Amino acid sequence: MDSQNTQNTSDSNTTSSGSAYWMSLEQWNGDQALADRFENEFMSSPLSSEDGKDGVARRDFLKIMGASLALATAGCIRRPQAHIIPYAKAPKEITPGEPNYYTSTWFDGTEGAGVLVKTLEGRPIKVEGNPEHPMTLGGLSARAHGEILSLYDPDRLRAPVRNLQNKERTNKESVATTFEEADEKILASLKAGGVALLTGSKPSPSLKAIVSDFSKAFSGARWVQYDSLPVDAIRAGQKASYGRAILPRYRFDKASMVVSIDADFLGTFLSPVEFAKQWAKNRAPGKDMSRLVAFESFLSTTGMNADDRFRIRPSQQLDVVLSLISRVAKLSKGSVVIPGGISAAAKAFENAPKALGFDEVLFDKVASELLQARGSSLVIAGGLPTLTETQVELQVAVNALNSMLGNDGKTIDHDTAVFETMSGSAESLQALIADMAAGSIKTLIIDDLNLNYLLPQDSGFSEALKKVETVVYTGNRNDETGSASQWVLPAGTGLETWGDFELQSGVFSIQQPTIMPMYQTRSLGEVLLAWTAKAANAPQRVKSAATWRDYVMGVWKAEIQGSVELGSGKSFEDFWLQVLQVGVASNKGRRERSGSGRAFVGSISEASLKARPAVGAGYELALYPSVQIGDGKLGNIAWLQELPDPVSKVVWDNYLQVSPAMARKEGLNKGDIVELKVGDVTVKAPVLVQPGVHDSVVALAVGYGQKTAGKVGNGVGVNAYPLSSLAKGKSIFSGRAATVTKTSGRYDLVSTQDHHLMEGRKIVLESTKSAFEKDPSSGIHKHQIFTIWPEHQYTKNKWGLAIDLNSCTGCSACVIACQSENNIPTVGKKYVMQGREMHWIRIDRYYKGSPDNPDVAIMPLTCQHCENAPCETVCPVLATVHNDEGLNDMVYNRCVGTRYCANNCPYKVRRFNWFNYMKKREEPLHMAYNPDVTVRPRGVMEKCTFCVQRIRRGTNKARDEKRDLRDGEITPACAESCPSDAITFGNLNDPKSRVSKMFENKRSYKLLEELNAVPRVAYQVRVRNADRVMEANSHGPADNHDKSHGDDVKKDDKKSHGLLKQDVNEKTGELV
Amino acid sequence: MSTVTRNPLVLGNKSYKDITDDILAPVEAPPGKRWFALFLSAKMLFLFYILHIAYIIATGMGLLGVNHPIGWGTMIITFVFWIGIGHAGTLISAVLFLFRQKWRTSVARSAEAMTVFAVMTAGIFPLIHTGRPWLDFWLLPYPNQRGPLWVNFRSPLLWDVFAVSTYATVSSVFWYVGLVPDFATIRDRAQTKLRKTIYGALSLGWRGSARDWSHYEMVYLLLAGLSTPLVLSVHTIVSFDFAVSMLPGWHTTIFPPYFVAGAIFSGFGMVVTLLTLVRIGFPQFKDYITIDHMEVMNKIIMATGLLVGYAYGSEFFIAWYSGNPYEVYAFTNRAFGPYWWAYWTMITCNVVIPQLFWFRQFRRSIPVMFVVSIFVNIGMWFERFVITVTSLHRDFLPSNWGMYAWSWFDTAILFGSFGMFLTIFMLYLKFVPAISIAEVKPVLYVGKKRPNHGGGH
Repeated sequence: MDSQNTQNTSDSNTTSSGSAYWMSLEQWNGDQALADRFENEFMSSPLSSEDGKDGVARRDFLKIMGASLALATAGCIRRPQAHIIPYAKAPKEITPGEPNYYTSTWFDGTEGAGVLVKTLEGRPIKVEGNPEHPMTLGGLSARAHGEILSLYDPDRLRAPVRNLQNKERTNKESVATTFEEADEKILASLKAGGVALLTGSKPSPSLKAIVSDFSKAFSGARWVQYDSLPVDAIRAGQKASYGRAILPRYRFDKASMVVSIDADFLGTFLSPVEFAKQWAKNRAPGKDMSRLVAFESFLSTTGMNADDRFRIRPSQQLDVVLSLISRVAKLSKGSVVIPGGISAAAKAFENAPKALGFDEVLFDKVASELLQARGSSLVIAGGLPTLTETQVELQVAVNALNSMLGNDGKTIDHDTAVFETMSGSAESLQALIADMAAGSIKTLIIDDLNLNYLLPQDSGFSEALKKVETVVYTGNRNDETGSASQWVLPAGTGLETWGDFELQSGVFSIQQPTIMPMYQTRSLGEVLLAWTAKAANAPQRVKSAATWRDYVMGVWKAEIQGSVELGSGKSFEDFWLQVLQVGVASNKGRRERSGSGRAFVGSISEASLKARPAVGAGYELALYPSVQIGDGKLGNIAWLQELPDPVSKVVWDNYLQVSPAMARKEGLNKGDIVELKVGDVTVKAPVLVQPGVHDSVVALAVGYGQKTAGKVGNGVGVNAYPLSSLAKGKSIFSGRAATVTKTSGRYDLVSTQDHHLMEGRKIVLESTKSAFEKDPSSGIHKHQIFTIWPEHQYTKNKWGLAIDLNSCTGCSACVIACQSENNIPTVGKKYVMQGREMHWIRIDRYYKGSPDNPDVAIMPLTCQHCENAPCETVCPVLATVHNDEGLNDMVYNRCVGTRYCANNCPYKVRRFNWFNYMKKREEPLHMAYNPDVTVRPRGVMEKCTFCVQRIRRGTNKARDEKRDLRDGEITPACAESCPSDAITFGNLNDPKSRVSKMFENKRSYKLLEELNAVPRVAYQVRVRNADRVMEANSHGPADNHDKSHGDDVKKDDKKSHGLLKQDVNEKTGELV
Repeated sequence: MSTVTRNPLVLGNKSYKDITDDILAPVEAPPGKRWFALFLSAKMLFLFYILHIAYIIATGMGLLGVNHPIGWGTMIITFVFWIGIGHAGTLISAVLFLFRQKWRTSVARSAEAMTVFAVMTAGIFPLIHTGRPWLDFWLLPYPNQRGPLWVNFRSPLLWDVFAVSTYATVSSVFWYVGLVPDFATIRDRAQTKLRKTIYGALSLGWRGSARDWSHYEMVYLLLAGLSTPLVLSVHTIVSFDFAVSMLPGWHTTIFPPYFVAGAIFSGFGMVVTLLTLVRIGFPQFKDYITIDHMEVMNKIIMATGLLVGYAYGSEFFIAWYSGNPYEVYAFTNRAFGPYWWAYWTMITCNVVIPQLFWFRQFRRSIPVMFVVSIFVNIGMWFERFVITVTSLHRDFLPSNWGMYAWSWFDTAILFGSFGMFLTIFMLYLKFVPAISIAEVKPVLYVGKKRPNHGGGH
C-alpha cells in the first residue's frame, strides 16, 4: 500500500539482512514497513486509518451507516412511549422476579376453595390451591383457576353506570356516574324504607354482620338469598327428616360404598374438589377400596368414575331410593327397619327395579353392599338433575335410607362442619317477588346475580322488578338485570377486595385483596358499609370502622377469634397476622366429629306419591351446570369456554344430550338443531348423541346463551334457564316433560376428540379389584424390548411424572392450571374445529361396552419426555433436545417450525402456533401472563415442559440454601391443582421419592411402551371395583402373553367394541 | 441380432438446415397469439400463487389445512409431487445417455427443462412450509455466531436439504451444458445485436471447434455419470422424510424404491403431457417428437406403473405379515377409512388406467396418452396425499385422530404451483430451443445409408 515509504526506508535498514532466516527479498533487504507488518496481526488496524484520507474513512462510514439506518427506520411506527418508574422506596416484601403468594378464598356461589394467589410485582398472575385449607387441601377446580381472567376481563364494567329508564322501565340510556352521586341518591331512597337485599348464598361472617347492621339502620331491610344452582331441597329434606334445615357435610373419606342419585359430586355438585379429594383417598386399590354406584339420567363426571352405573329418568330418582330402602330392609332380614313415615311408600316400590328396567341381580347387589357397609356407606342425591317436583321427598327418602344404614352422623356430618351458611331459598325469593309485585319493596339491591337471565318466566321476577322504584345492581356487567336497574355499581372481583368465608361451619377463611381495585369498583360489603355508616342510627361497629377491612377485622376479633384453635391465647394482631399467613382458621378436633345418628322423623305420604305427574312415554328434561362455566357467571372466560367438557369433549357450546337409542328413533344426528318444548317455552338447541344418557332423557347445560357476558361468552350456546320453573316455593330444573322436534337446521358442535374407541389398543389399561388382589400387575401387557444401544445415564436429577389413572376423575382442573401457568393461548371454536387447540395437557376419554351405558376410561396425556424421544432426532435445527435431567426441552428461539417433531410424536402432544395468538390477546388480559414462561410467537412448536420454570426455581433455591432438593418441593401446575392427587412429580434418581415409588408400583405401565421411546411418564392401571369390566377388557393376568399382538388385538376388537360398532360411523369414528 | 429395423428417429427426410430452422422457429419468430394467451394465463396463475404465499407468510401456516394431528399437508404433498416429476428428465438425459439410447435426443431437452423447473417449483415448498420461513437459512450448516450451533445431521429433513439442492444444481448445470452448442447456433443466426449479445454470453464463447466438441462431450458424459446416482438418491432421501419416522404407514423399508419408481412414473407422465402439448403448439416438432418416442415413454409409464402397483400391494402384505396392529390399521384405514376416496383415486389413476398401454393403438394414440398422463399426474399427487395425510390422521392413539382441514389456501397453493411451473415452461419454449439441435443432427442419416440392422451403431 505505501510503496513510497518502502522505497525510502529500504536503504537505511540493510544491516538486518544478516539475521537468521529470511522469508522474502524485502525482508532480506530490511524493509521496515514489512517488518512492521510482521509485528501486526492485522494488515491494517481499523484505528490506523485516518479520517478523510482514504475515501470513506471508518468514522464517516459509521456516520453514513447510522444516518441511513435512521432514515430507513424513520418511516416505521414508533414504539409507544412507556415509562419505567423505579420504586422510590421499595416495598420490603417485593423482590423483582420473585413471586409473592397471598392466601385468599374463592367462592363462586356454590363451590368454594382456599387459594393462594401468586403475584409478581403486585400483579396477580395465578390462583393456586391453599394446602392449609381443610376442605380443599390444595386442590383447585378448573373454574377457580379462571378467576384470574375474571380480574383482567376486558369486558367488565370499569365504573358505576346509571341507567335512565323509560316509563315502561326499560333502559333508555346508560350514563356514567360516580359512587358519590350514587350514594347520595340511593341513601335517599334507602331512608324511605321498604328495602330488600337480594343476593346469592353469602357464607361470609362479615357480610352477615354488615347485612344485619344495614338492616337495623334502614328500618329492617330484608335479606333474601337465592342460589343460581339451588341446594335448598336438601335443607328442606333435612328439616322434614330431622327437624333442622342444614346442608350436611358429606364425608366421602369415611365412605366405603357410595351411591349417588344424579349427584355429580366429582364435577359440579356443591364442593367437588373437597369431595374428589376425599373420595380418591378411599380408592386406593386393595381390600379396602371403596365402591361407587351411580344412578344417573345422563353421563356426568361422577358417572364416568362409577363402578356400576344405572340409567334412570329424573322422575325415577325417588323410585330408586324407595326401592333401595325396601330391598335393604328385605335383605337385612329384620335387622334394618324402615322408618314408619315411609314404610308404606317403600312397600309400593318393592318391585320397582324390574319396572325401572334394571338388572335386578346387580340392583340387589348394590342393596346388599349398602347393607354390608352399614355406617360407612353414603347415599347422596343433589344438584340440578334432582330438582324435580319431588325434590324434597327424594331428600327425605335419601335421609331415611342413610338413617336406616346408620350413616347419619358417620358419613353424613350434620353437626359440626355443615354448609350452614348456604341458605339460598326459592321460597323466600318467591315471597320477595310477590312483595315486589305488590309494590311494598321500594328499594331493591341485587348483588351480582343476573336474575333476569337466571330466572324462568313463570317466576314473574322481571315483571315484578319493574314495580320496584329503585333497583341497585352490583354486577360487573350492565346485563339483563343491570339494564333493568337504575344503578349499576360494579362489585369488582374477589381478588381486589377484603372478605371472609365460612364455607363450612367452623372453617373460617380470609379473602385478601391481591391488587388495588383495577377500576372504580366496590364490593357489596364496602357498599353496604358506606351506606350504613351514613344512616342516622348506624351501629357502633359500623361507625368505628373506617374501611371495609377494619370492619372485617372487627368481626374476626369479636366473633371468630374465640371460636378457633388458632385464636386462643394470643393478641388479635398476632391472630390476624397468622390468619393472613395461613388463610384459614378452623378447629381440627371439631372437624373430626360428625355428630351422632339422629332420629328420623320424616315421612312420605302415599298421597304425595300419587300426586306425582305420571311418567309418560315422552321425554324428560334434565338440566345441569357444566363443569366448565357452572351457572354461567364464568361465561366470559375463554379458558373455560375452550375447556373440553370432561364427558363429551365438546368446547364452546352447550347441546342437547340424547341417547344413541333416542337418536336412532328420532332420526337425529350430531349437530341437528331441534326444537325443545318444555311447558310453554321452546328453545332451539343442537343435538349431541351422547352415550350413557337415559333413552327418555334429554339433558341440556345451563349457563350458556348469554347476551351480555362479553366478547368471549356472548352467543355461546343456548340459554336453558327459561326451561326451568320457579313455582310453589320450588325451583324445578329437571323431570319436566319435554317434546323434541327435529328441524332442518344444522349446527357445528366442536369436540377435541372425535374418536371414542380404543380400537382394541392397550391405551388405558384397566383391571378389577378381584383381579388386582390376585395379581397387582393385572391388566398390564409387558413387551419384550430389545435394543442394542446402552441406556442413557442421568447422573444429576432425573425427572419423572406418575399419573394414577385410578384417581383421575377427568375433572380437567389440570388443563386450566397448565394453561394459566404456561401462558397457553385459546384459539376459539373455529380453530378447535380445525384441530388447533393448544392445551399442553389433555384428557382423553374412551368408551367401552354398550353405547347405551358405556364404561368410560380417562387418561390425562401430556408430553412423555421420552428418553429416546422420536421428536428430537427429526428436528433439522436441533430445536428440541434432551437435557441432562431427562427433560425433552423445546428451544422456541431455535424452532423454525417444520412440524416434523409433531408428526413423529406417537403421543401427538406437541402443539404448533399456527397464528400469532399472543397478539390477539386483548388488554388487560396480558397482565395474567406468567413472566417465567416464554410467550411463544407464531410458527414455533410448543409442548409440556414439566413446568421447567418451577424446576429451575426449585433447584436454584435448594442450591442457594446449600441443601438437597426435598421430595415434593417441585410440583408442576397440573399436579398442584389436581383435586384427587392423581399426578405425582419428582426425581427418579431418588429411590425414596414418591414418584420413584409410583414408577416401581406394580400397577405402573408406560403408554405405547413397545415403541421403546422410554417415556418418563408412568401410568398406573385403573382398577374398577366391579367384575363386569374384566369381561370387556380381555387382557387379564391369566392371559397368555406369548400370543402375537395381532391375535390379541383381534380378540379385543370383538369384545371391547363389538357392541359399539353399529353406532359408530365407520368413516369418521364418530358416534351417530 | 434380429433384422427388425427401428423407425427413423426423425421423420420428414430433414436436412441439417431443416432441423435448425424447425427447432429455432419458435425462438426466432415473434411469439404467436396462442403462446401469449397461454403465457399470460400461466403468469396470472403464478401471480395469484405469489400473492397467496405472501399472505400465508404474513399471517401464518394456520391458513392452510394443516393441523393437529396432520402436521404436513398440501405443501409437503405438492413438494414431493414436483420433485417426483423432476425424475424423468434426469433419467432420460443422463441414464439413457449412458445407455446410448438414441431416441432420447428429441425429448431429452424438454424433459430436462421440465426437471429443472419442477425442482424449482418444488424447492419453494420446503422453504414456505415452515412456521417461520424467514429463518429457513438455519437449515443450512454454515459457520455462525450462535455457539456455533450446527444443524442436526440425524434429521432426514436436513438430508433433504442436501439432496434437493444437489439435485437442483447438478440438473441445472447438466441442462445448461447441453444447451451451449445450441445457444451458439442461435447466436450465429442472430439478426439483432441484442440477441447476439445475450445468446453470445450464454454460449460461453462456443466456437464449434473439434476441441470444443471434445471437451463438451467429456463434460456431458461426466455430468451424465454424476446425475445418474441422483436419479436414485433424491427420491430415496425424500422418502426418508417418511421412512425414518416411526409413524405407521411411513415407517416402511419399501419407501426408497417405491418412491423412485413412483417418481419416474409421474415424471414420464408429465413429459407425455407436456410433449403432447408441445406437438400441438409447434406442429413442426411432430417430425422430431414422433409417435415412436411417445410410445417408448408410454411403455415406461406402464412398467413403472406396475412397479408402483406392486409396491401398493406389497405394503399391504407387509402390514399384515408384520403382525403390528398399528401398521395393519394404518393400511386398512387407507383403503377403507374416511380417506378411502383418495386411496382409490390413487389406485385407479396409477394402477388401473395405465393398463390401457398394453394395447398398441392406445400407446400410439395422442388423445389417449394425453388423458392417461393427466390421470397419472392426478394419481401421483394423490399417492403423496395418501401417504402424508392418511398416515398422519390416524396414528397410535385414537384420541388424536382427526381430519385434514382443507382450506381455500390449499387449493390456491396446489394450483398456483402449476402457474409457476407453466410460466417458466412457456418462457423456455420461447427462448430456448425445445429440442437439442446438436444432438438430433447426429441421429439423422444424412449422407449415410440407412442401416438394415437396428440397435447397433
